[in-house]
Amino acid sequence: MKTLSRLGLLSAAVAMGALAGLPALAQDSVNVTNLSYRTGPFAATGTPVMNGQRDYIMMLNERDGGVNGVKIVYDECETGYNTEKGAECYEKTKGSSIVTQPWSTGITLQVLPKSNVDKIPILAPGYGFSPMAEGKTFTWAFNPPTTYWDGASMILQNIADGNLDSLKGKKIVLLHLDAPFGKEPIPLMQAYAEKHGFTLLPIPVGLKEMQNQSAQWLQIRRERPDFVVMWGWGAMNAGALTEAAKTKFPMDKFVGIWWSGSDADLKTVGEAGKGYRSISWSFPVSDSKTMQDIKTHVIDKGKSLSAPGEFDYVFYQRGVVISMFAVEAIKSAQAHFNTKVVTPEQLRWGFENLKLDDAYLAEIGFTGMVPPFSTSCANHAGHSGGWMLQWDGAKFVKSSDLLKADETMIQPLAIAEAKKYAEANAPWPTNDECKM
Amino acid sequence: MLYRTAGQFKTSYVADHALFPVRQDAWLLAFILLLAFVVFPMTASEFAFRALLIPVLIYALAALGLNILTGYAGQLSLGTAAFMGVGAYACYKMTTIFPGMNLLLAIGLSGFFSAAVGVAFGLPSLRIKGFYLAIATLAAQFFLVWLFEKWAWLYNYNASGAIQVTNIQMLGITVAGPQASAMVQYYFVLGVVCLVTVFAINITRGRIGRMWKAVRDMDIAAELVGINLMKAKLSAFAVSSYIVGIAGALFVFLWRGAAEPVLFDIPLSFRVLFIAIIGGLGSILGNYLGAILIVALPVIISTLPAALGLPIPSAMVEHLNTMIIGALIIAFLIIEPHGLARFWAIIREKLIIWPFPH
Repeated sequence: MKTLSRLGLLSAAVAMGALAGLPALAQDSVNVTNLSYRTGPFAATGTPVMNGQRDYIMMLNERDGGVNGVKIVYDECETGYNTEKGAECYEKTKGSSIVTQPWSTGITLQVLPKSNVDKIPILAPGYGFSPMAEGKTFTWAFNPPTTYWDGASMILQNIADGNLDSLKGKKIVLLHLDAPFGKEPIPLMQAYAEKHGFTLLPIPVGLKEMQNQSAQWLQIRRERPDFVVMWGWGAMNAGALTEAAKTKFPMDKFVGIWWSGSDADLKTVGEAGKGYRSISWSFPVSDSKTMQDIKTHVIDKGKSLSAPGEFDYVFYQRGVVISMFAVEAIKSAQAHFNTKVVTPEQLRWGFENLKLDDAYLAEIGFTGMVPPFSTSCANHAGHSGGWMLQWDGAKFVKSSDLLKADETMIQPLAIAEAKKYAEANAPWPTNDECKM
Repeated sequence: MLYRTAGQFKTSYVADHALFPVRQDAWLLAFILLLAFVVFPMTASEFAFRALLIPVLIYALAALGLNILTGYAGQLSLGTAAFMGVGAYACYKMTTIFPGMNLLLAIGLSGFFSAAVGVAFGLPSLRIKGFYLAIATLAAQFFLVWLFEKWAWLYNYNASGAIQVTNIQMLGITVAGPQASAMVQYYFVLGVVCLVTVFAINITRGRIGRMWKAVRDMDIAAELVGINLMKAKLSAFAVSSYIVGIAGALFVFLWRGAAEPVLFDIPLSFRVLFIAIIGGLGSILGNYLGAILIVALPVIISTLPAALGLPIPSAMVEHLNTMIIGALIIAFLIIEPHGLARFWAIIREKLIIWPFPH
């Protein structure tokens, strides 16, 4: 009985603790929480990115003592790519963090309508709902440097050698994860298919089929497509690549989105993956100033969680770039509002006024790691464009110059979709102050 | 001493059949209701509302629905999540086709859709039972989730394939959607859950409930004493799926705010089944205890390291969480295989005779 009552007391104390909420913020720091996933079926691709994000912030805290004297606290809330956990993490962290990084299109869709009410910016670099780039409608959401629709446009341009009409009569398979993320490019690619006369065949891969895609690849073999475009993530990438290698699908006709270009996945197929391409808005430059500083201040001191060799990975360095976006937004908000500890509202302004040109990227030590871009109140993505990367059997190399998406095609669709979203979620506040 | 029943005389049949023949039980319930209706809403943070209180209530409701089918009528079902999905999608279609519709009405009606689907998939129960029936309900699970994915009309041809809850007002107060306040949603859910619980307690105590229990314990004997098996089994499927459908509509409209088809996949079914089994099959109280253990405890554990200032990385916390909850489930099942409700019943019995056990 005694143990029981003690148990009861303990659980009551625990419940009270949870109800009372989380400890308050310290004064001279800002909190950038990441809704990470180092567990679950997407951990393999998620972990290097999270490591990169964490290590860049750590390096700044070590090297400069934070940003202009303000320490940046990098916390993680584990979601396991589960939308339920993600929404829980959002609720848990929205009081303390100045930004929310949902890290899954499903979680982004979940928190997107709440960001207006809670007034906290969403940073979804290179993922989320593509029309989020329309800043006049999506006041609080940011998906720099480029959107999925941009990615689809760039991939099509690259496989058509710049002339989309040359795709006429061809067949393109879109092998995609059967989740909001994977369905994202379908409307745009369908519009392209109608305009340029090629056949688009979406083949979904369910969450349960990610590791065993024999049915999908059997269908691909039967259809004999001219190109396979992949919108995959996590265990799906490795599954698709091994299956493609097994069925001897020509790798130079297999192109992935930026989340399907993980070194670790291609290492599992090695030489057989030679020729596989993946569009990317970031590129690993291991001898850049930033990366060298991370090496000296974090990795060599044994403070990094990253695995050996991960340092040179596309995904690890992409994580570094993502944290840089958040830090640069903090910096520009600090300068504009003449303050040290920025609030979520001020950070929103910062995200709207990112000016990352070549000279500035060189100054902060990011030369060649991300294409230059700038955001505005109407343009929350920046549409930086990207490079086509190609696997040479051991690592990714650039195989194209900087590609730019065809905004004349994308923008009307994005505006229409944004309008549709706002209407479906009425009353939806728009940013009417933006006159651009 | 606290639970002494001496001196509580029953002088009429009505008193003898009261819901709470022991006065202390009624006091305890009053105390819990006071907590739920007054104390929690006054003290809870938004996080507590959205991550603890609301989900516990909704999961408990879903488990209650399953418990009627599995615990009372003895028909094992693995399709709970799919029936929740039917309720959610029905509610979504109704609120988008008739935008001004009262949400309470829409949720109440959406239960009928899942009841109809539940009865349809319950038909095999007339011929097969046990594990074979479980497989038949599993078919419902796979088929319905596939339908939610492929039938674009269900999600209004949305490009992402997900349904999103818009701001819905009732009597001038926003009750669903991003602008709804957590407290309003909590009261809404609490009201519905209380209502359904009272209904479930009464139906399981009455003629229909006894019929279900007879079928559960031995269906041939039940048939011999004159119980219509078809009526008993299908009514259990209907009532159970109705409650599960309501839980599904609440799940999406009052809690999640958006849902993709994969949400209603088999892990959710198992989760609800675990709640029902660990809470105790054939009990009402057990669903709440099970939901607290399965839904709320992991959330509380994951906030502990931060609250105590322990520097444990969140991925590690998640691993520990899985281990702790798994160990607790096994421990509870070893201590009391009949679930937490039975555990409480034993404690209560001991308390009644305490401090003189003989």
